[in-house]
Amino acid sequence: METLFDHVMLSRLQFAFTAMFHILWPVLTIGLSLFIVLMEVMWLRSRNEVYFRQARFWTRLFILNFAVGVVSGIPMEFQFGTNWSGFSETGGDIFGHLLGFEATMAFMLEAAFMGIMVWGWKRVSPPMHLFATSMVALGSSLSAFWIMTANAWMQTPAGGIFDKGRFVAASNFGPIFNSDMPWAVSHMWVACLEVTVFVVGGISAWYLFRGRKVNFFLKSFKAVVIAAILITPLQIYLGDGSGRMVAETQPTKLGAMESHWRTNPPGEGASWNLVAWPNRSKQDNDWAITIPNGLSLLITRSLTGQVKGLRDFPKEDQPPILLPFYSFRIMMGLGFLFFFLTLWTLWAWRKGRLKSAVVSGQKKLLFSWMAAVPLSYLAVETGWIAREVGRQPWIIYGVMRTSEAASPLPAYTVGSSLLIFAGIYTVLFILFLLFAWYIVYKGPEALE
Amino acid sequence: MEFSIAGLWLAIISFFLLYYVVSDGLGLGVGILCLFSGKEGDRKVMMESLGYTWHTSQTWLVVVGGLLFGAFPLFYSILFSALYIPAVLMLLGLVFRGVSIDFHEHSRSKRFWAMGFGAGSLVAALAQGLLLGGLLAGIDVRGGRFVGTVWDWANPFSFLVCLSVVTGYVTLGCNFLILKAEGDLQNRTFPKAIVFSALTLVLSAALFLWANLRYPHALEKWLSSPDLFYVAPATVLAGLGFVMLFRSLIRRREAAPLFWNAAAVALGFLALSISLYPQMIPHALSPVTISEAAASHRTLIFMLVVTGILIPVMVFYTTYTYRAFRGKVRA
Repeated sequence: METLFDHVMLSRLQFAFTAMFHILWPVLTIGLSLFIVLMEVMWLRSRNEVYFRQARFWTRLFILNFAVGVVSGIPMEFQFGTNWSGFSETGGDIFGHLLGFEATMAFMLEAAFMGIMVWGWKRVSPPMHLFATSMVALGSSLSAFWIMTANAWMQTPAGGIFDKGRFVAASNFGPIFNSDMPWAVSHMWVACLEVTVFVVGGISAWYLFRGRKVNFFLKSFKAVVIAAILITPLQIYLGDGSGRMVAETQPTKLGAMESHWRTNPPGEGASWNLVAWPNRSKQDNDWAITIPNGLSLLITRSLTGQVKGLRDFPKEDQPPILLPFYSFRIMMGLGFLFFFLTLWTLWAWRKGRLKSAVVSGQKKLLFSWMAAVPLSYLAVETGWIAREVGRQPWIIYGVMRTSEAASPLPAYTVGSSLLIFAGIYTVLFILFLLFAWYIVYKGPEALE
Repeated sequence: MEFSIAGLWLAIISFFLLYYVVSDGLGLGVGILCLFSGKEGDRKVMMESLGYTWHTSQTWLVVVGGLLFGAFPLFYSILFSALYIPAVLMLLGLVFRGVSIDFHEHSRSKRFWAMGFGAGSLVAALAQGLLLGGLLAGIDVRGGRFVGTVWDWANPFSFLVCLSVVTGYVTLGCNFLILKAEGDLQNRTFPKAIVFSALTLVLSAALFLWANLRYPHALEKWLSSPDLFYVAPATVLAGLGFVMLFRSLIRRREAAPLFWNAAAVALGFLALSISLYPQMIPHALSPVTISEAAASHRTLIFMLVVTGILIPVMVFYTTYTYRAFRGKVRA
């Protein structure tokens, strides 16, 4: 079983683990900073102190979340050098400068104004404070733009040319405007907003559920419900667009995400597997529950449109199938679930069930919002699993294989660092939950 | 030393690296001092003196990392994979330090998180010392690939570099505390600052000498014109920086020690860089030069245009935020 524990596999596991840990934090940083900007704008416009208290309360959660995001993000940047030296050497000319832009254009902006946003209330005027908060929000969203652009370039590598074994830039804007970029950036950015909607909504729902500080949390709850009307259907639309981009540019990933083996012959439709059990050695599914013509309809918008199957590609170019297939289904299912939860909430609102006197009685609805908090993170994680595992065996799709990209380190070294990361991050995660619970339980402060 | 875009990029990145070393080095130094401080009140001042800006300072490391990755991909890939163990240690140290500052605010066990902050700072400082040491000691690269082992950095030369770096950080930390603290804590910091400044001077002089003996091309610069006219003034000026540092400490000035300390660090770095030029990864047999390590011409130019626009903006807003938090920290 040497392939299971060689340095390539261990580096992959380490990157997957540290990335899956890291992504938990920036999603909320990006969305919550925008939410706080909104609260500060409302406060400056209306001078209603409830908005000021909203901004202060959510900022406390924001800073706790932000710090873990930053410290877990630094290892992401440096792991390209430590564990993926082959990738950095070959692809660094393009990928590296995109990360450089992220650091100088976005990360620094976010970091510099962070101090004022969190501790500067008494040091700067309220409009200046709003400006600082806006810069933090802008910085974190720009950061998402560059990171997603760099990642999208690994999926649809454009604007590069091989020169003496290195894949170097052949144009300035070609790598940035690669075909996956618009979908990758928008799908992820809206995912950040969606997670924030359910985190703010879920915490507010917990207070409403217990009948504590009802007026305060009804305000934040209604604000995110209104946002959800836009965000949840938009995310389904963007997900569909991303999927069709995958079909066009990464047919092996689409094949894995759908466990689709045979290209449908002309005049026949490709069926969509609701659930299936893929069998790699048979190059087929052991069993599947299918919807006839479903896949053709989803991808090509016609009943008999052609969708390439995995069998069209040599075995060594096929990604693992089970993980992308089921991750994708979980993510997609959750996306629809969040949409239905939004509809249900709107219906309850229309029926007058969100009035402060009666909202605490809506136990099922409020409980669903609380459950949506972890589920929204699950949707992000499973989406990333489908995206990254589905790109395999390539690190840069069609250009460089993951196996050639890893640093030639002894397996015990990578194994040890992986174990240490796992240990420290687990402790960090538990501590974060404890402190977050403390902040949430304590609730908003009365005005000084 | 002829002009090249790669050389210009090295200068830009070196500037940011120095900025990081001074601004976050002093933070790591304060962290190490915190570890050895017995008083709760002192620790509070120490942590709060950094509270607002440590995060911005640390971000310069991310900037240096990103620019280095883009402008010198080969250097980036070789440096961090060859020095895997110090690099991972640094990351873990920084993670631990960052969350300790964060949790310190929320937790009731202040002592525990102040110690965590100190321990994280010490690990990160040691690891950064070993990263620099491992690089300066030479990395065995053949045909663009690292051919050594993961333990190559463990040698006397790199341990000396590591010790100089950690001592240098503590010195910066002392001088920063002199600026930020007042009263008893400030008084007690002056003698410490003098001791650590002296230690830093001795260690870095020894390091500079050893580096010159280790690399023949560095030593030759002292014997040939025009190289002598670059390396000698930088060395003399670095020495002068230390003289001014001692003078300001003895005269008990508040802001001057940090300024001269930063100047001495920058000039010392400059002297060492000139000595090792044009090798970017020094090695007695198979060095990697600046131009070999650099990205393509197109990427270097494109990055230059973009960062050229960004740098003034960055300097403007970071100065603004530092100004917003200037002044003394009280217990």
